[in-house]
Amino acid sequence: MAAAAVQGGRSGGSGGCSGAGGASNCGTGSGRSGLLDKRQALTILPRLDSSSWAQAVLPPQPPKYLGWQWKIDDKPVKIDKWDGSAVKNSLDDSAKKVLLEKYKYVENFGLIDGRLTICTISCFFAIVALIWDYMHPFPESKPVLALCVISYFVMMGILTIYTSYKEKSIFLVAHRKDPTGMDPDDIWQLSSSLKRFDDKYTLKLTFISGRTKQQREAEFTKSIAKFFDHSGTLVMDAYEPEISRLHDSLAIERKIK
Amino acid sequence: MLSLDFLDDVRRMNKRQLYYQVLNFGMIVSSALMIWKGLMVITGSESPIVVVLSMEPAFHRGDLLFLTNRVEDPIRVGEIVVFRIEGREIPIVHRVLKIHEKQNGHIKFLTKGDNNAVDDRGLYKQGQHWLEKKDVVGRARGFVPYIGIVTILMNDYPKFKYAVLFLLGLFVLVHRE
Repeated sequence: MAAAAVQGGRSGGSGGCSGAGGASNCGTGSGRSGLLDKRQALTILPRLDSSSWAQAVLPPQPPKYLGWQWKIDDKPVKIDKWDGSAVKNSLDDSAKKVLLEKYKYVENFGLIDGRLTICTISCFFAIVALIWDYMHPFPESKPVLALCVISYFVMMGILTIYTSYKEKSIFLVAHRKDPTGMDPDDIWQLSSSLKRFDDKYTLKLTFISGRTKQQREAEFTKSIAKFFDHSGTLVMDAYEPEISRLHDSLAIERKIK
Repeated sequence: MLSLDFLDDVRRMNKRQLYYQVLNFGMIVSSALMIWKGLMVITGSESPIVVVLSMEPAFHRGDLLFLTNRVEDPIRVGEIVVFRIEGREIPIVHRVLKIHEKQNGHIKFLTKGDNNAVDDRGLYKQGQHWLEKKDVVGRARGFVPYIGIVTILMNDYPKFKYAVLFLLGLFVLVHRE
């Protein structure tokens, strides 16, 4: 009830924890609890007084039952914490979400579309081979089959080169439109890596200025244990500030220049 | 109520990611298909790998045979050939017993299974006494023992085959990379 009142009264902040001045271990029960709890209580108390009237003005809404939906974008992300690729994918997706929703950048699908096109063309060759062989039984279909098989494996080679050298480990390319509309867009790229059976997740943010074409990067390497709780739920409150910090460090340099 | 948690990953995907999952599945199937067709082209035989049903003591039930069917290789007595009788679907793996050869290269031959007491005339079509080159699927060039038992099982119990394929397909579609 106190938390609801605080959130009703103030715009930022995620519950009582952030009121304690950025103590990173609040809520996990560390040894220094005595002093911290008192400070927390002192900061919450004045908020309660000033915003208790806010609670009277805005009565709490009962949660609406939306029925079964296919899209579960609002549910917190819960994955098997021992599955390395699921962990990396969920961290990547959440970083993407932060950049696109918080900073309102526009995603550029060029790289992904390239990969999808190459795969589609490969499957197309396979389908052609299948249908041709069905219509003209084997010995006559030999030249067409040979052509399709060779093309298929050539496309596989192209796909491997594309993912290794062009796409690398970039999973997001986002554009920031220039508000004046005169300069070309600034480009933000996100790439990440998480080694097999390792817990250190590296996220790299690259900023390419539209005007000067200069490139700047920032990255952080953190253990995934900092972002997931015991049941495998991704705690956005711990992850989102990291992304914002990374972004702001690059954005601030831009202002100085 | 069935908990559909394993679908959670899929429900969070956008259109492009969903399309990529389908493409992934398609590419796995296509790779298998292309390898099979590639083998067909290289060996010249329309069924380069067959499962032997019985030809003891040379091959046992469940062995996998590699075949080639090059036009230049002549069929000789004593070779193991895989042939298909007109109107029957299953190819037969037997040894060549007798050959009649004409000047222009046209041959007709008789086969017999190593484990049978008589030659194959009883198996041939009504009125057919000899086999010709067009009936040949290929000549045995190498073999891998025992692996074909899985194929025999899947053919004997088609529901098992469909169940395995369905589960594999579902796994590939739902699992992300």
